[in-house]
Amino acid sequence: MKSVLIVDDAAFMRMAIKKILEKNGYEIAGEAENGEEGVRKYNELRPDIVTLDITMPEMDGLTALKAIKTIDKNAKVIIVSAMGQEAFVRDAIMRGAQSFIVKPFTEEHVLKVLNSI
Amino acid sequence: MSKLTRDPMLEMFIFETAQLLEQLEQIIINSEKSKSYSTQNINEIFRIMHTIKGSSAMMLYDDISILAHSMEDLFYFVREKKPLAMDFSELTDLILDGADFIKTELSKIEGDGKADGKSNELIENIKKFLSTLKEKNSLEDEVCITKEKLLPIKEQKYYIGSGALSGTPTKKILKATIYFEEGCQMENVRAFSIIHNFKGIADDISYYPSDIIENDETEEVIRKDGFCIYLKTEYSADTIREILMQTVFLRHLELEEVDEVDEAIQRQKSKEIVLEGPLPSTVEEKMAEKVQTIEAQTHSLNQNIISVNVSRLDKLMDLVGEMVIAEAMVVQNPDLKELELDNFDKAARQLNKITGEIQDIVMAIRMVPLSGTFHKMNRIVRDMSKKLNKEVELTIIGEKIEVDKNIIEHISDPLMHLMRNTLDHGIETTEKRLAKGKTSIGTIILEAKNVGSDVMIIIKDDGKGLDKEKILKKAKENGLLYKAEGDMTDKEIYNLIFLPGFSTKDSVTEYSGRGVGMDVVTRNIETIGGTVSVDSFLDKGTIVTLKIPLTLAIIDGMNIKVGKSCYTIPTVSIKESFRPLERDIIVEPNGNEMIMVRGQCYPILRLHELYGVNTEITGFMDGIFVMVEQDEKSLCIFADELLGQQQVVVKLLPNYITNFKKINGLAGCTLLGDGSISLILDIAGLVNI
Repeated sequence: MKSVLIVDDAAFMRMAIKKILEKNGYEIAGEAENGEEGVRKYNELRPDIVTLDITMPEMDGLTALKAIKTIDKNAKVIIVSAMGQEAFVRDAIMRGAQSFIVKPFTEEHVLKVLNSI
Repeated sequence: MSKLTRDPMLEMFIFETAQLLEQLEQIIINSEKSKSYSTQNINEIFRIMHTIKGSSAMMLYDDISILAHSMEDLFYFVREKKPLAMDFSELTDLILDGADFIKTELSKIEGDGKADGKSNELIENIKKFLSTLKEKNSLEDEVCITKEKLLPIKEQKYYIGSGALSGTPTKKILKATIYFEEGCQMENVRAFSIIHNFKGIADDISYYPSDIIENDETEEVIRKDGFCIYLKTEYSADTIREILMQTVFLRHLELEEVDEVDEAIQRQKSKEIVLEGPLPSTVEEKMAEKVQTIEAQTHSLNQNIISVNVSRLDKLMDLVGEMVIAEAMVVQNPDLKELELDNFDKAARQLNKITGEIQDIVMAIRMVPLSGTFHKMNRIVRDMSKKLNKEVELTIIGEKIEVDKNIIEHISDPLMHLMRNTLDHGIETTEKRLAKGKTSIGTIILEAKNVGSDVMIIIKDDGKGLDKEKILKKAKENGLLYKAEGDMTDKEIYNLIFLPGFSTKDSVTEYSGRGVGMDVVTRNIETIGGTVSVDSFLDKGTIVTLKIPLTLAIIDGMNIKVGKSCYTIPTVSIKESFRPLERDIIVEPNGNEMIMVRGQCYPILRLHELYGVNTEITGFMDGIFVMVEQDEKSLCIFADELLGQQQVVVKLLPNYITNFKKINGLAGCTLLGDGSISLILDIAGLVNI
């Protein structure tokens, strides 16, 4: 069972992703509500996959991605983005993000991306 | 659907969005006060709107989502371009209107109705504002745009003319056309991702559409015609196919070996992206440091919070109440009377300790800071002072003080009403204030402080104060004078305004009037066992004080006996209890009974007379006195005997009694350990009888 760390400042989004993943055999390693906490939890929990929101307080997703990659260059990170954030997603891919999810998402969409990792 | 069974996602959506809106309002009002938006605040507003946009789109509330999107765009512009010529007040109005719309929709959703409001007009206004903003700040705008456009071009290497692809025959050229699944979104970014993954696998890559980086409209082209890549590589077609097949949302792949890159694509001036180039990072250097500090903090505290439905908390509270009663019923069971039960007593003490702790925790769970309610007043002050053309500053003190959630719900409306009144009638217009030699800006202080088991909420303004004559006149007209005019103190006169049917304003204004008087405030506060009082000084201002209990549910009480009945006095009101000396009793010629205690004279209240209870103990020497105090007034209650102290669960008097008869001086009732009923005395009511 793959473990996932969900990083998003919106509790609603965390819940949405968590519900989909739990239902489909993923283990939720933890949740974080900003980039800084996300990086800290990554270091602590070493999950198989991280879902990472872009727009967050304290530390945004791109910065967190960089930090996570510094801790573990093989970290599998999936960016959770919204329409209009294409440039950020490209940046994230260049920085080693594995894939991305676009909000609003469906269960199918999330699973396809997660399963491809 | 009932609240308990509502979809947890919906519940979370409502909860979080409401919280974000409150935050938003606070930021905006603070920013307006300081006449500028700090970078931090702009970021915060942007983020809030971004989050609401995302969540509401997931819940399919399109009107909310689109509105949030337009506000996000607006603040994106403000954040990136930092426009100088901006009408702050208009911006604030726009955002507050938007927030109000979302709030209204939320409450519709919460009431299990449909969010059917249309946000088109608001969106139009926001767009209009944004475009004027862009126009006004066109100069800076242009500079920024050119900068932005220039950067990527520098990094682009044009493939055309290099001849690299066709020049080296040892390596194959592969042409791949990729079609994505419908609805996977951001096809151009996905295409970019594929190209990025070929780093190290292919030497030369060209692709069409070529402008996937700078032009987000290419996603349409890719959706329709697919994404076409030419690769020069040593790897076999099968290996490349395998790699490409791993693409997420891949619908169809065409792969073939070709001799030359399509003319059409050459003409399109395909570009090669710089795979090895520096990351377009802005924060790179700082990062290394930051990561280290974060690693060091790994074990710092984790705050875990869950949100719980209030109805469950209410239920829990009820159950704890029942448990307190049940515990008393066991421990003080009449069957156990006069038995020597050492072990039982030990166990009972343990039980008592644990129930006490549970109770404390449950109470603590229900405590909420006043800040939410207090900060709502900011909005009222802002909106009203703008419309009434008065300048008012609101200062909030003690917002961190916590009270029971039920109580918060009851004080929100009265506070709003008082606030509106103060703004409308209390604070004068700027001209009048200046004429009186006051500062042009009126001040209102909203303060909370703990006083014993009560919380005092004080609203103090520096307005014109209450008009004594007017109040008296009005009270006389309405037959509200309960005493001779001459006997009344100023304070008593001012407090007439809280009586039902009193209103000095002849015409009801939009704000404070609303067809109801200040008695609504009194009624609301009294239902939670609080009191309201007012004091005023002509041209100096008015002070309204609300005294409310911290909690309603469980109180410490002293049980007393009168005849066969039992009464409970809240312990906080008790000053002392004593047996009197004969010589301290004073009987006035008209029959009024008083008692001297340490040189002070206090009225005596015979409970058995007040409630018509038969008792054999009527002589003061046979019974006991309990001195109680409320609002600086004291009274000695005469009862048969003290039964002991106990925590009691307050239950309201049932409707079939209150509907039938209004009984003065009773706050409710409770069950005692032996199953009998005790009436809880309302000391505030008694001292004013």
